[in-house]
Amino acid sequence: MSEADERAIVRSEIRWAVVAIAAVSVIMLAVIFAAIAMHINPPSNVERINPQDLHLSAEFTEANLGTKVEANGQITARIVATQFAFVPRCVVLPADRPVTLRFSSPDVIHGLLVSGTNVNTMVVPGYVSQVHTVLRKTGDLLMPCHEYCGLGHSEMSGTIRVVPSAQFRPGPDGRVACAAK
Amino acid sequence: MTEQPTGGRERDRWGFAAAMVVAGVLLFSVVMGLIVLPVLQAPNAGIDPWTAICRAVGLKAGSPAQPQPPVSATAAPVSQVRWTPATLKILAAADPRPGAALAQAVCSACHGEAGLSPSTDFPHLSGQSGAAIYKQLSDFRSGARFNAQMTPVAKKLTDEQLAQIAAYYGSFSRRAAALGPRYGIGDAAISRLANRGDPARALPPCESCHARGVGGPPEAPVLSGQQREYLYRQLRAFAGGQRGNDVYRRMRDVSSHLSDDEMHRLAEFYQGLS
Repeated sequence: MSEADERAIVRSEIRWAVVAIAAVSVIMLAVIFAAIAMHINPPSNVERINPQDLHLSAEFTEANLGTKVEANGQITARIVATQFAFVPRCVVLPADRPVTLRFSSPDVIHGLLVSGTNVNTMVVPGYVSQVHTVLRKTGDLLMPCHEYCGLGHSEMSGTIRVVPSAQFRPGPDGRVACAAK
Repeated sequence: MTEQPTGGRERDRWGFAAAMVVAGVLLFSVVMGLIVLPVLQAPNAGIDPWTAICRAVGLKAGSPAQPQPPVSATAAPVSQVRWTPATLKILAAADPRPGAALAQAVCSACHGEAGLSPSTDFPHLSGQSGAAIYKQLSDFRSGARFNAQMTPVAKKLTDEQLAQIAAYYGSFSRRAAALGPRYGIGDAAISRLANRGDPARALPPCESCHARGVGGPPEAPVLSGQQREYLYRQLRAFAGGQRGNDVYRRMRDVSSHLSDDEMHRLAEFYQGLS
């Protein structure tokens, strides 16, 4: 192989190395931008729950699902992702206040994101997925399932109804539910 | 190839540059991932920057991200059936022969010889999924579902007997079973609802759970071939709240989004041409 050939190969390799490094850098910068400016971070909560007993548990029993203002003022929404719906389908939360969302699944892996917010997590049977956020936009936000969960996956979506803080009025038991529209 | 002095120096230069790049990437990652991002994201999780760094490094446990107050709710399950390995083992090991004798003695008066019901008051059973029969009998027994005739019958049976009856009705061959795939009737709109669902109402297709072997909830019963009167009554009962033993509102939710006309046509569709 002549020296000229070898130099041509090195130049070509450097060009491709630059392209590869640039691609990785752009992706990393996008991740860092999302993490800092949009507050998107991987959920770090590791909390186990038995999926076979989810419907028998106190926390994820049907009557305890939805939004509840706890005794200490903390606002928590508990949602079960099941084939093929979120229970409850519609959840009311106040704008501009810290809220906690807790999800679990009794059957298969689901996932969700709330459009236009930083809420984005998988819901894995056996675990409780927990997300903290402050919702800035009011209105009905779409919450589709984003992890293929079976033949009804494409119809599986819920609604997060964000109301101005003044219109967020929990009942005497601290619960708030979506009014029929 | 003979080694040339300049080639060696060239390699050293490249080696040094590569090592510097790797060290730089490593340093950037450590500073970014273990210090900058945790500190900037700490307020999101309601923790101070130092705790955030310790958690990122792994010196402190990352969970719970924020301790939750104890849950004051009490469990009010709509069904006691749990699909544990133990339950599935009972179902898989159940012998259909004693089940056949039990069915002859207990079930056949209403549900017919060989599970083909002679009356529209009682559903067909042969060809039904064993898990579905087991779940409903268990729910009648525990009171999760009530029926004046079924509740006392189920209360007299043991768990193993329920599984044997379920195994018997599930063991019918396709030809002999009352339930099983049928030629649908020519109702295009309802066929679309049953097979494709309705995304506008977030209604999943019936078939995504009720077709055999689709990987939905184990308790989903076979619908095709069932009597339309029975199917319609159940849809109405779910929508009206008289029946509520469907775990996590799966059927109460779906049926409340159906019109009365759709319920009639779905029942008709699933009864099919017999």
